[in-house]
Amino acid sequence: MIAIGLEGSANKIGVGIISHPSPNKPPVVLANLRHTFISPPGEGFLPKDTAIHHRAWVVRLIKQSVRQAGVKIKDIDVICYTKGPGMGPPLQSVALAARTLSILWNKPLVGVNHCVGHIEMGRAITHATNPVVLYVSGGNTQVIAYSQNRYRIFGETMDIAIGNCIDRFARTLMIPNDPFPGYNVEQYAKRGSILVDLPYTVKGMDVSFSGILAAADLLAGQIGEDIPEKKRLRSEEGELVTKEDLCFSLQETIFAMLVEITERAMAHVGTAQVLVVGGVGSNERLQEMMALMARDRGGSGFATDERFCIDNGIMIAHAGLLEYQTGVTTKLEDSTCTQRFRTDEVFVGWRDD
Amino acid sequence: MASESADPLPHAPESQYTHTLPLPFTNSDLAVLTQGAEALVYRTTFLTPHTPCVLKYRPPKPYRHPILDKRLTKARLLAEARVLVKCRREGVKVPAVLGGDWEMGWLVLEWIEGRTVRKVLDEWVHRLGLRARDGRDVVDLADEVVQRDEGEMRRLLGLMGRVGRAVGRLHEVGVCHGDLTTSNLMVRPPGDLQEPGPERTEDDLEGEIVLIDFGLATQTIHEEDRAVDLYVLERAFAATHPAAEHLFQEVLRVYGESFKGAKVVLKRLADVRLRGRKRTMIG
Amino acid sequence: MAKVRTINLPHYTAYPVHICMFKDVKNAAFLRKQLLEANPEFDYAFLDPTMILTPQHILSATLLSLHLHLTSRAKTRTPHSELVFRLHPNNNIGESYRKFGISDDSDRIIAVKLSLTPEITNESVGQHLGSVVEGESVDVGEGVENVGMWCDVEKVKKVYKLDSNGGKGREGGTAVNGNAPTNERKEMEAVMSGVITLKGS
Repeated sequence: MIAIGLEGSANKIGVGIISHPSPNKPPVVLANLRHTFISPPGEGFLPKDTAIHHRAWVVRLIKQSVRQAGVKIKDIDVICYTKGPGMGPPLQSVALAARTLSILWNKPLVGVNHCVGHIEMGRAITHATNPVVLYVSGGNTQVIAYSQNRYRIFGETMDIAIGNCIDRFARTLMIPNDPFPGYNVEQYAKRGSILVDLPYTVKGMDVSFSGILAAADLLAGQIGEDIPEKKRLRSEEGELVTKEDLCFSLQETIFAMLVEITERAMAHVGTAQVLVVGGVGSNERLQEMMALMARDRGGSGFATDERFCIDNGIMIAHAGLLEYQTGVTTKLEDSTCTQRFRTDEVFVGWRDD
Repeated sequence: MASESADPLPHAPESQYTHTLPLPFTNSDLAVLTQGAEALVYRTTFLTPHTPCVLKYRPPKPYRHPILDKRLTKARLLAEARVLVKCRREGVKVPAVLGGDWEMGWLVLEWIEGRTVRKVLDEWVHRLGLRARDGRDVVDLADEVVQRDEGEMRRLLGLMGRVGRAVGRLHEVGVCHGDLTTSNLMVRPPGDLQEPGPERTEDDLEGEIVLIDFGLATQTIHEEDRAVDLYVLERAFAATHPAAEHLFQEVLRVYGESFKGAKVVLKRLADVRLRGRKRTMIG
Repeated sequence: MAKVRTINLPHYTAYPVHICMFKDVKNAAFLRKQLLEANPEFDYAFLDPTMILTPQHILSATLLSLHLHLTSRAKTRTPHSELVFRLHPNNNIGESYRKFGISDDSDRIIAVKLSLTPEITNESVGQHLGSVVEGESVDVGEGVENVGMWCDVEKVKKVYKLDSNGGKGREGGTAVNGNAPTNERKEMEAVMSGVITLKGS
């Protein structure tokens, strides 16, 4: 069976085509295309502009991916789209495209939970059978474990998402948004070495980032070159603190928080496997820290590369096809989208462990 | 598909079991009790060869920046020790702090004799032959037995009441536990029974409640924190003791009378239950 | 020859602890002078027995002093001066000596000596103290259980800021409100070893 997946919950529009040859064979990626809406430095992406971007690109990407996949329209069994969670206008643009395709091609629809898309794609790519999942992106920060046909949320952010925290931090430091702020913060961090104290807020299996953002914003105001040298922020050894050091400190602190709650969830459910998904999951330092933790527990850490951990259409196609194979479709009149859609609301009918 | 990204992240087989203990401890004279995410917990002796104790060691986390790691280890051990000392000062039943070294990451606590509430309830269920296939049956059976046997009911409710009072006292002195499960509540047998006997039966339900494992505790008097403590405990009862779940009402009843302000916490608990402690999320 | 009891602290068995007690001491001023002059022959912790509650009390401070000394983090010169310092909840060394050390007119003394080197033995300590302390040696007990026999419980409570019941221990807990002296001391020492552990942090 073959599915096409449309994703557009944030600033990326992705179209992917996947084939599930048979239940016992691994899925095959036939096409996986993406285009990102990039806002100028110091600015975030606004819902309206993002929706315009998605509308401008969706047709092109669908055409291109069908061509690249080398499939005929009649071979496609189902059209999958992101039902949520995400930003309203971009979600609506993509849902509209999916409905249009469904009518044009006369194919069934499946609305997919974005988070479940990430989890299923990650499992398929890494062959991690039953990992604790850390889902980290611009809009989400969750520690998830599977139990009785649900992906249950063990821990999550009490305020803003980690990606949002990094993006806003990058904006404060006027770090460019191209290709994406987190990537640039990561490059800066590689050149940093001074650890500046930032609030570390972990409560059980939940985390909070708003305090860190406030503190980081404050620190960012003390390192500008326009500030007299005497007043600039220094380390205990007297070295001047740089943008790079702040990025380094931010990453070391917030990633340590994430790894800590993930480890707690692993101890709780008694597994030694961990899978990192979501855009922030492409960060090499986070992957390294996760792997060190997992190794210390006698297990392994898994992550996917940026083709799969950054929002994409293929994960929507994959998760949607899994659901479609259990007999579930979304009727045209129900093919809405929703900004709020919890991971644990989805009945995971395709797993029986 | 995508085989180049299918490999797990680099990993080696050794595990945390091989941690070297900090001075003055050596692995040879210690027995591991638990290995949580945070701390390795051992049973050993301290100060005299006849003083059993619990050693909690927070090993360095290899993934964490060493400065951050030291800062967190120190802050958490100190917080735990401070909360315990505060509780003991106020007469709340918790383990005493016998020693510690924040720089090196260890804390030695008094050994608490007895069994966890979880174990006591499990054994109680077992003893009454209440092992049924699913939760519902157990609840029905438990109800039946409890209704038949007034003495049993009284002892059970007594235990629940003592749990409620213990949590109430803790909250009253300005401490929230942070991880209140039935495994973190001990039932310490009355003095003359402190020698671990081979077969204890109905006396299992007797004894004072001692709260343990304050690794996530905070000093707070916020209703929300208190309500979350109760909510976590309620879920722990529900998850592990279907037969005892309905007895939780008695925990709450006695809690509600245990200190000024407890009633407000119970109201807040209703909100927390509705919310499931979780918020809905946006993209 | 003074009666010395030697005990091994678990985990620090390589450094035995020698404890002795004296009553009717006549030369406390002389002993104190040796301490003030830092006479190496007199590297002992001379303690005021009215301030020592239980074996656990003295041993928790002893173990921590030894531990900090061996890991080079002690605040004072020797583990013996560190012991006097560690016993007091505050961070003032002079105050610690005034409260827990001996004074010129002390007639009862607890002496503590750690075997940091193999030459220091039960015998050597007994011989030396027997010859320099003018007083009557009293048995400390096999498990040093007698260290608390001259304790002034109210004075100890004041220094450690404990209220009258050790802890508050209201609400009919089984042991605490029994007010039996041993239970009260148990409750007190439970808080005190915590306070000693937390000192300075």
